[in-house]
This record gives sequence, C-alpha cells and structure tokens, in this order.
Amino acid sequence: MKTKFVAFAAAAGFVLATGSAIAHHSFAAEFDANQAVNLKGTVTKIEWMNPHTYFYMDVAEPDGAVVNWGLEMGSPNGLMRAGWTRNTLKVGDVVMVEGSRAKDKAHIGNARVVTLASTGKRLFAASSQADTTPQR
Amino acid sequence: MRNGQRCALLGAMVVVLLMAFWRVGAQQPAAPAAGQREGGTSGRNASGPPEPAPRLADGTVSLGRPSGEKGVWNVPYITNMGERVVEADGTSVFERRVAAGRGGRGGRGAGRGDGPIGGGEGTTGGARGGAKSEPQVPFQPWAAAIYDYNSKNNSKYDPEGYCLPPGGPRLMATPYPMEIIQLPEQKRIVMIFEGATHIWREIYMDGRSHPEGDALNPTYLGHSVGKWEGDTLVVDTVGFNEQTWMDYFGHPHTDLLHVVEKYSRPTKTQLRYEATFDDPGAYTKPFTVRWNIPWNATGELTEYICQENNKYLQNLTDDFGQPIFGKKP
Repeated sequence: MKTKFVAFAAAAGFVLATGSAIAHHSFAAEFDANQAVNLKGTVTKIEWMNPHTYFYMDVAEPDGAVVNWGLEMGSPNGLMRAGWTRNTLKVGDVVMVEGSRAKDKAHIGNARVVTLASTGKRLFAASSQADTTPQR
Repeated sequence: MRNGQRCALLGAMVVVLLMAFWRVGAQQPAAPAAGQREGGTSGRNASGPPEPAPRLADGTVSLGRPSGEKGVWNVPYITNMGERVVEADGTSVFERRVAAGRGGRGGRGAGRGDGPIGGGEGTTGGARGGAKSEPQVPFQPWAAAIYDYNSKNNSKYDPEGYCLPPGGPRLMATPYPMEIIQLPEQKRIVMIFEGATHIWREIYMDGRSHPEGDALNPTYLGHSVGKWEGDTLVVDTVGFNEQTWMDYFGHPHTDLLHVVEKYSRPTKTQLRYEATFDDPGAYTKPFTVRWNIPWNATGELTEYICQENNKYLQNLTDDFGQPIFGKKP
C-alpha cells in the first residue's frame, strides 16, 4: 500500500516551515533526511501538543501486516500560523505522508507533506525538519 | 585592554556595516511562510524611501510596535554563529557568501536562515566541520573539543532539545517571534520571547551596575543593564550559568561570559543585532557576531509551551544507547 515516491522537488515547493515549527530539537540527531518514507494509512490518534504535534496512523505493510506509525510535525502554534487547526486532521482520515524515517526507531517518522487521500488536498506540512526547500 | 580591542574592532566594522547590512537585507529571501507574508524585510515601502523607525513620545527610537499597530520581530534561525563572526576584514562568512551572490540560504554548509522561514545548516544531517573549519572562532582547546563532539553527534544533546532556554544571543537566533517593550517611565525594557521556552528578559535602564561576588547569581539569561548610545540600545550582560550553548551548533561558553549587545532599527522593518562575546574561560579573545531581524507587521505572539509532550527528551539515549530519562519505549 505504500505510495510511490512523489517527485521530491514538487513536494518541497509546498514546504514552508514556519520558524517556530522547526527549532525545538536536533532534526539530524533523530531523523535521517536521506531515508524518505512514503506512507498511506488511516489516522488513529492525534496529539495536538507542544513542542511537536504527533499523529499516528495504521499502515498496511506489503505482507499485509498493519503497523502503527508515529509521525512528528511542528508545534500547534506553528501549524496554526501555517493555516492548520486542531481539526484539520481527524481520526479516521486516510492520508498519504511524505517524510523522513527516524534513525533508530522502526515506525517513527517526521511528516513533511500530508495529503488527504479522499480529496487529494495537500495539507501544509509543518515539518519539524529544517527548511528542505531547494535554493531559490 | 579588552575594551580597547573591542572598540578597535567595532570601529573597523563601521566602515563596512552600512554596505554589508544593506546587501544582506536586500538579499533576504522573498518567500515568507504562510501567515508571515506581510513581514517586510527590505525596509522599503512599495515605492519611495524606507519607512523610518517609530519613536516614543520622548523621541527615543521604539524597538516595538508603532502605536495602534501589531507586529513582532521574526527572529531568524542562526544555527551557527561561527558563520556570523565579523572577521578582520569587517565581514563574516555569511556576508561574504551573500555578497558573492550565493544567497543567504545556500546549500549544505551554508548558514541559512536570515529570512522568516528558518532553516539551518546541519539540521538535516550534512557533515559538519567542527572547530577546524572555523578559524575565525578563537576556541581554547577544550572548547574546540566540546564543539567537535557536538558537531559529530549533530547537536544531539542541545539543551533546547530539553526545552531549556537559550542563553544570551541565542535568544535572538532561535526562530520564534519576539517583542521588545520599552518602559521608559519604569526605566526598564522587557523582551518577551514566544519560543524556545516562552520566556521574558528584563534589561535595567536605571543606571545600576551588575551585582558582584555572590550577589551575582548565575542564571540562564544573566544580569542585563542597558543604555542608549544615540539610537542604539547597548545591553551589557554577565552572570550566565553554564547550562546553555551559544547556538544550535554547540559553541560552548563558561560562566565568565560577558556579552555586549547592540540593537538598532534603521528602518521600521529591520532590527540590526550585534553581540560581542568575551569569555576568557572558553575563547582566547573576544569576538563579535551580527545579523538582521525582520519585522512582521501583522504578527502577534502565541502560546508555545515546549515542556508539554517532549518525546525527544523522553526517547533520548546516551552514547551507549541507554535511556537518559525514563524507559525507552
């Protein structure tokens, strides 16, 4: 069920992390920016909390097993500035996520882009990763 | 002696300050984040000359909001102050890169982040060069070793990751909005910071001196006294504890650190920030860093409580893989 890798450059164009979304901890110490993950699954839980909002989703592995992933985003106030509210993402939503995998945890990641599967609407991804946009 | 050196250094800088800062200001990225779009960075109106800094009733430059308006300073993400050190020729690594047309948000190895978006070298895992790559930073050997360690582990043990506050100039390098509130009738200035740890800082403007001896209690933000030199606010701070890093990259400091900061507002939309570090415990001589901070004319501070659900800290392990706090999930 894993979605195919979407052109990174296109995705990155939407990445406009606000300052407050990115500064809490060392991204590089926890996540590997070179290990892209592309997931599709159903949201099971949302923690709209500081310093990072987390959401969890059930993802079907290629062998059919369902694994619950935890995905980090920015802080609630950073997400609000980017146009999110606490109800932008809801339990039960089917979403696609582009992000980076944690270095030493199997099913933890950092969400860079979140897309609603039902509408294709790309929700702003207030990643806690530092700016990943190409040079401009 | 130190004051003399500092004066000489600052004097030399004056020649290039206007040009360098103007170039840096003009090069700031033109793609602010949603919600921060209105924050001007160039100091110019749509047409015509730059809008001047607002002033208080007594004529003092206001470093805060014009009466009846909103606004916050969009503090940039300065991840590596080594790149902002003003060198003998009066420029910094960052300013030379901007002048060379490579922009303030260059590729890996660049000290990105003068804009409101943030970003920062090394935060995505690019190799860092450690003390050897920064001859402009006058490390003592032990400080170089500490810095190399922080470089190699990608700032894993950054105190801000623990939700501890930034200390000293890192307050102006941690990318959350802040405000400066002048209270001349009370002879003090209060700076309030949304992020890092949602803290405030008080600067005494009543002419007092720093406490001495045991009366000077080491704290995260130190003891700050300020005065106006023309339109520049000069803040002198001592009494830091040793629980903070100077920046995300992990330049260390000791409790001997003495910081002199200069704040000026050449136009309504730009705050010029400069800080001189004098820490004989960690560095062989004083050095000065500087950067610009853009005004966001529609911004307001919001709540950010870092300590709420800090999974990074809960999951943090030491160099041997053992949990530092609590149990590893």
